[in-house]
Amino acid sequence: MKQKLAKVYLILVFIILYAPIIFLIVYSFSQGETMTNYHGFTWRHYQTLFSDSRMLAIVANTLLVALLSSLIATLIGTLGALSINRTTKRVTRESLLTLNNVLMVSPDVIIGASFLIFFTMLKIPLGFGSVLMSHIAFEIPIVVLMVLPRLREMSSSMLDAAQDLGATTRQLLSQVIIPFISPGIFAGFFMALTYSLDDFAVTFFVTGNGFSTLSVEIYSRARQGINLEINALSGVMFLFSLLLVGGYYWIQQASRKRKHRKREVAS
Amino acid sequence: MKRLVSLIIGLLAICGLLAYSSSQLERSSGSTGDKVLNLYNWGDYIDPNLLTKFQKETGYHVNVETFDSNEAMYTKINQGGTHYDLAVPSEYMVAKMKRAHLLQPLDKSRLTGWHNFDPQFLNQSFDRGNRYSMPYFWGTLGIIYNDKFVKASQVQHWQDLWSPKFRDQIMLIDSARDIMGMALVTQHQSMNTTDPQKLLAAEKKLNRLAPNVKAIVADEIKMYMAQDEAAIAVDWSGEAAEMLANNHHLHYVVPSEGSNLWFDNLVIPKTAQHYNAIYAFLNFMSKPANAAQNAAYIGYATPNAKAKALLPKSVRDDRQFYPTQATIDHLQVYRDLSPAKVELYNDRYLEFKMHH
Repeated sequence: MKQKLAKVYLILVFIILYAPIIFLIVYSFSQGETMTNYHGFTWRHYQTLFSDSRMLAIVANTLLVALLSSLIATLIGTLGALSINRTTKRVTRESLLTLNNVLMVSPDVIIGASFLIFFTMLKIPLGFGSVLMSHIAFEIPIVVLMVLPRLREMSSSMLDAAQDLGATTRQLLSQVIIPFISPGIFAGFFMALTYSLDDFAVTFFVTGNGFSTLSVEIYSRARQGINLEINALSGVMFLFSLLLVGGYYWIQQASRKRKHRKREVAS
Repeated sequence: MKRLVSLIIGLLAICGLLAYSSSQLERSSGSTGDKVLNLYNWGDYIDPNLLTKFQKETGYHVNVETFDSNEAMYTKINQGGTHYDLAVPSEYMVAKMKRAHLLQPLDKSRLTGWHNFDPQFLNQSFDRGNRYSMPYFWGTLGIIYNDKFVKASQVQHWQDLWSPKFRDQIMLIDSARDIMGMALVTQHQSMNTTDPQKLLAAEKKLNRLAPNVKAIVADEIKMYMAQDEAAIAVDWSGEAAEMLANNHHLHYVVPSEGSNLWFDNLVIPKTAQHYNAIYAFLNFMSKPANAAQNAAYIGYATPNAKAKALLPKSVRDDRQFYPTQATIDHLQVYRDLSPAKVELYNDRYLEFKMHH
């Protein structure tokens, strides 16, 4: 009985989480112009979407900024976490962490406004570069927070053992530490990716000179009511993320099988 | 480690691919090179076909960037770092930008379409002689009603809203200037008055409206009205046009005793660089055929008299969005008030909201 209830609850939660997305996608096939009534099936909104080269360029820009910024932020953030973890002085470590957390909790609007002032003061033109830099900046603290717990879990005896067996510092990093914390690195990367994809407040301030991202564009269109082209776009993006998650799962499964086989061969 | 490195290389490859395709896409729409115009506009506030047509006729490519509020646009232009050639502020923002020296005067000798505009929409208080601005669209403040619950004859004037029949049935747009203005009009006062006594009287008047007010809301008002949540709403004509499109039981009335007249305007900010493109675009947009096409796409009222003549009869004779001359004569444009006076309006309005 209890198990059944738990299952029902789980299903209910998933329905609530996914219903709005499904609703949005269903309406992307509606012949009408708004989301008030469903008017029969059509591919029209997808056609307008794929012939809207400005929109497609914005999608490409958004993905580019998201991937590149989270990649760079992951590199910097991981290195940062490593060095925070290595600091033995407690006060220094705590204050470093606090400084990191302040960036996490400060409102996006403030960060965005300060970036705008910063960039214009340094005469850095607003556009791709300014958006990329500000995204990297607000993603680094997230990566640090995701990687640090993994580092804490790592037992120092493992490192000692590796050193006893003659591992150089480089080998220690690449063959012991990085493999161990890689789940944290991946989590940090994906968190950074999603933060970048849906950030509006910071991005709004630092876009300019023809460069724009999806969230800014969609938000500005809302004055006239969201048209169904946006629904079509959401449908495509949803499919894209499904494929991404599916691909990630497939890669993991494949590598697990490979490891399994190796172990069998070894024994 | 090897896996990580190969992942990083893979991601970089994807990034390269994305950068290439985005530059290809931008080139295919022609946004590189010198022949460009940077337009800073409200989202989806121009017919995209006109932009293609403009490029075909003149060779200038229009880069559109969008904003979602006058204040956001002001901040971006004021801060610098951008190169917008044209922006589309509402009337009070034109006055504010003018005072902040963010605008450049229009060179009238380079404008060819000026005679197309209806003179009654020019030379307004926010920009005397249209030294800085060219009207883009105009609209009003009015009453939206649902004919399932309310008869047309019951809501032709502001005073009708105070009728005890409409208990708990009215939604108001959350805007101090507009709601206070509505109360002032019913008392035959100017919507720009700064007399504290008159404003106090307007607040008292609004307090008596409170039993009829179901909610004071922002953009959601469109959704509520489309879903028959309330019988009556007070909102702007632009919003009303959208509600009407979603629910054919809704109608819009501009009370003949007076209301607000608002404008969105094309202006040249200080950041402009491409002057030939700017004047080509202003002239292109003031051509009757183009202005009419844009008005048909957006659904707002055009200040271009010759363009209005080109619109279908059902549109240009629609009294909801092109009110009669007698009504237009009673419309008032908001004057840009000093911060202290705006505060006065906000305080009285807040008192009313608390009372409500």
